Amino acid sequence: MGRPSHNSGYRTSAACLAASNFTMPALSPTMTEGNITTWKLKEGDSYAAGDVLLEIETDKATMDVEAQDEGILMKITQADRTKAVKVGSRIAVIAESGDDISALEMPPDETPAPIPEKKESPPPSSAEPKSESSPKKNESPKKPAAPQTYPLFPAVKQLMKQKGVEDSEVSKMTPTGPKGRLLKGDVLAYLGLLDSNSPKVVQARFEKLSHLDLSNVKPIPAKGAPKKVEEKKAAPPAPPLIEKLDVALAISLAPVLEAQKRLKDTLGVDMPLSSFISRATDVANDGLPLPASYKPTADELFDQVLGLDSLPKSSKGVYLPQITALPPAEKRTPRAAPSTKPDIIDILAGSPKRITPKPMQSTVAFTTGTNVFILSVPKAEEKRAKVFLERVKVVLENEPGRLVL
Amino acid sequence: MDICSWARQIASGSREEALSEILQYMQLEFFHSNNMVFSPELEVSVRSWILTVGEVDRGVDRKKLWHSEIFLLKQNLPPLPRRLFEFTMLSSRIMPRAAAPVRSALKAHTNLPRFVQFSRAYASSADEKDLVIIGGGVAGYVAAIKAGQEGLKVTCIEKRGVLGGTCLNVGCIPSKSLLNNSHMYHAIKHDTKQRGIVGVEGVSFDLAKMMKAKDTSVTSLTNGIEFLFKKNGVEYLKGAGSFVNEHEIKVDLNDGGETSVSGKNIIIATGSEATPFPGLEIDEQRVITSTGALSLEKVPESMVVIGGGIIGLEMGSVWSRLGSKVTVVEFLNQIGGPGMDAEISKASLKTLKKQGIDFKLGTKVLGGDPSGDKIKLQVDAAKGGKEETIEADVVLVAIGRRPYTAGLGLENIGMELDERSRVIIDQEYRTKVPHIRCIGDVTFGPMLAHKAEEEAVAAVEYISKGYGHVNYGVIPSVMYTYPEVAWVGQNEAELKASDTAYRIGTFPFSANSRAKTNLDTEGMVKIIACPETDRLLGVHIIGPNAGEMIAEAALALEYGASSEDIARTCHAHPTLSEAFKEAAMATYSKAIHF
Ligand SMILES: Cc1cc2nc3c(=O)[nH]c(=O)nc-3n(C[C@H](O)[C@H](O)[C@H](O)COP(=O)(O)OP(=O)(O)OC[C@H]3O[C@@H](n4cnc5c(N)ncnc54)[C@H](O)[C@@H]3O)c2cc1C
Repeated sequence: MGRPSHNSGYRTSAACLAASNFTMPALSPTMTEGNITTWKLKEGDSYAAGDVLLEIETDKATMDVEAQDEGILMKITQADRTKAVKVGSRIAVIAESGDDISALEMPPDETPAPIPEKKESPPPSSAEPKSESSPKKNESPKKPAAPQTYPLFPAVKQLMKQKGVEDSEVSKMTPTGPKGRLLKGDVLAYLGLLDSNSPKVVQARFEKLSHLDLSNVKPIPAKGAPKKVEEKKAAPPAPPLIEKLDVALAISLAPVLEAQKRLKDTLGVDMPLSSFISRATDVANDGLPLPASYKPTADELFDQVLGLDSLPKSSKGVYLPQITALPPAEKRTPRAAPSTKPDIIDILAGSPKRITPKPMQSTVAFTTGTNVFILSVPKAEEKRAKVFLERVKVVLENEPGRLVL
Repeated sequence: MDICSWARQIASGSREEALSEILQYMQLEFFHSNNMVFSPELEVSVRSWILTVGEVDRGVDRKKLWHSEIFLLKQNLPPLPRRLFEFTMLSSRIMPRAAAPVRSALKAHTNLPRFVQFSRAYASSADEKDLVIIGGGVAGYVAAIKAGQEGLKVTCIEKRGVLGGTCLNVGCIPSKSLLNNSHMYHAIKHDTKQRGIVGVEGVSFDLAKMMKAKDTSVTSLTNGIEFLFKKNGVEYLKGAGSFVNEHEIKVDLNDGGETSVSGKNIIIATGSEATPFPGLEIDEQRVITSTGALSLEKVPESMVVIGGGIIGLEMGSVWSRLGSKVTVVEFLNQIGGPGMDAEISKASLKTLKKQGIDFKLGTKVLGGDPSGDKIKLQVDAAKGGKEETIEADVVLVAIGRRPYTAGLGLENIGMELDERSRVIIDQEYRTKVPHIRCIGDVTFGPMLAHKAEEEAVAAVEYISKGYGHVNYGVIPSVMYTYPEVAWVGQNEAELKASDTAYRIGTFPFSANSRAKTNLDTEGMVKIIACPETDRLLGVHIIGPNAGEMIAEAALALEYGASSEDIARTCHAHPTLSEAFKEAAMATYSKAIHF
């Protein structure tokens, strides 16, 4: 049973201050309708974020819908066992916690009315019919939108009182303010005191201004600098798929273990194997040959144009080898493959005694400390990676002592 | 302490507790072996190290672990205690199988060593961030924090070495510090007699200390952001980011070396830089941009400001107050830059002149020669006037700012710029490459910090919620000269240009009781509304505290208020804001006090 947290269900109706419609959530991208199995709360119950509100059944699964925020379940409009409720149609009305729900107005049902196919048994909720009918009334006159539940603006009230407009007439006016607010101009238009289109013209103007003006954008070609070098590289924009290649090299860690021991014995300093390795990779990463696919940066090109600098021949790498004690799988580049050796973890964890090296089948001789260092790189970097591994090998096997400082 | 139980704790989800316990343990160990406590920096890196280790269980490859170790080593620290390392090793083995920390089980499970397995299975997918942000200015850092709050895995790359971008380091914040303090000095010097304050005749200032006060404000704010990053789980990479391809960003770390991050979503927030003046090379000593103007070591005898926009006028004000002879050369016939209402701009020009700043409007700078003792500028009156040469010790180039994308590798992803080098976006801030968005100064719209901030939130909401919004019709602008100028919405010229009818109501501060008691009566409030519906269209203020007062106007505009709505809202007496209310009254009917 899945338990998605319900994010999108709270569609607050535009004109409503506190009570809002709670609609059938889409629990998967493809879900279009669902059955309500059971409500876990009663009308009037409060809930906290994370509480399960109801259980929904789709053709695929049964899922709990959790509350994203705290609140009060004011009214259930689609009772238990309602079938085939369309996603986005109202199933309940919720209020913010702390609200006096008896004083709240029901928001209009803005969603296409759900088509309950069949109810297996009549809903037990006695309040149900009432809740179904009241919002529908508000909904019917489509144009003069939802009733104003915001406090009316002072100028609006003043004008209505002055002109003797009944409060109930508000619902006949066409609000043009942000979020459906009724503006002074809307009352004037309702009263026929100005061209009924005027408020809408202003509204349209604000709507336009509220967006970034992206008309008349004049793109320039990707890079305009007429440099020869630049043209070469303007070719294809970064191939999305880079062919990867594993480059591997067997490296014995025995000299390192030895150096580590010496260090411990003579200076009493513990230097973890990882430090040896990371320092070795650091050294090896310096000044590596450029990948075959290397593209000079804009700065480098610019410097070159100015005659300040020629293009670099090498650059610092960022390689971090994967280390394994086993020969890598067949498809990797052919190499002098080591066979079995201790798990690096065992070595690193300082318990090399536990390792029982197996006899090796390959031609290469091993000591307990041999491992395979693997780099997975784009094809163009094969050479670069090889140079790197060679260096790591030299440093670790020949002069591990240098890494101590 | 039991390493295995931590491992299990982490794996079973009580991450936070486990992490802080481990941190404590490491601190103790470190203290025992090195007789030192963690420096704050070290604590941060150790923490991230632990987190990385913690992530090993989630399938992140070893790379990150190595990285963070190298990072620690780079700080030239005594080696961390061996047990820590063992812990790393152990936990990385145990965590993937939380319930059974048994080595044999692992062996039975597979005969491939775990390392290789991790890297094969997850290296590319789990390492990918939900969001990578390039640039830690207002746009970038706000987006990063917001994304952290939305539960996204987010990395922010900033090369400056500190967060906050132009705004906090060389823009809004330091300029306001200098503006405020130079104003106080100036007021004490020139505006005390009529108030009955005496004994301040020999008042002077210490420029170095004034700069220090500025720097203190800046650092406390930038550190604050770094704290917020930690609080919201934002990964912060100090270095310059550039696109390798549409998902991967290479980072040249400030501390040397490089790394790379990839993101499902990427936000470009690389900001802007001062537009240079052709032929005048910026050295930030004698030929300066606003950045140099924020840290001059001595007050220049004379200063020419090229460009009479907000930044030029603010910086010109600072140095004029501190004793420099300032001349502003502006090509247009109006100061204040785009958006400022012409009437307000004129009023501002008048008061700035009174304060001793010289203006050459409608005047074009043809070229400059910095070779002599003084910098010589040839200027030409724009409308066929005669050419002349003006001299200055320092020339401030303030002709505008341009989007900054140098070194970003945009060519590697075929990103489109417009003719003014702005990254081209749609209404949802998406660039040509839909998962790469762009916000702030580097793209369209006014180059303002609060605009960048709004966009940051909206862009992240587009990513996390599918919808975000910035109301570009209600973005206030403030010029922090004395008195301040502030506006929001449309000005007269814009309304005329679009053939929109309007009605104006104004109220001068000279008729406002609070301004009178403050002996600070320059300026006015000007309200523009629709003549038919009375809906507010724009508000323009010049006067004391205009920058604060404009907030009320923005609120009114955002809510679609009419001028009458404002006029019917009670405003405290005696306050400057009553002038705002009276101007609203004047718009729909009549002001009482004028
Ligand atoms: C003197 C001055 C005064 C100002 N005063 C105000 C004011 O009072 N009010 C106001 O609203 N606005 C003001 N502004 C404007 C405001 O500073 C900018 O609108 C705001 O900083 C824009 O934010 P941003 O994040 O888009 O860009 P920025 O703040 O410029 O930040 C971009 C950041 O990205 C970094 N970056 C760039 N490229 C890379 C890369 N490849 N890799 C990593 N990092 C990179 C940069 O180092 C920079 O820190 C002022 C500006 C100036 C110059």
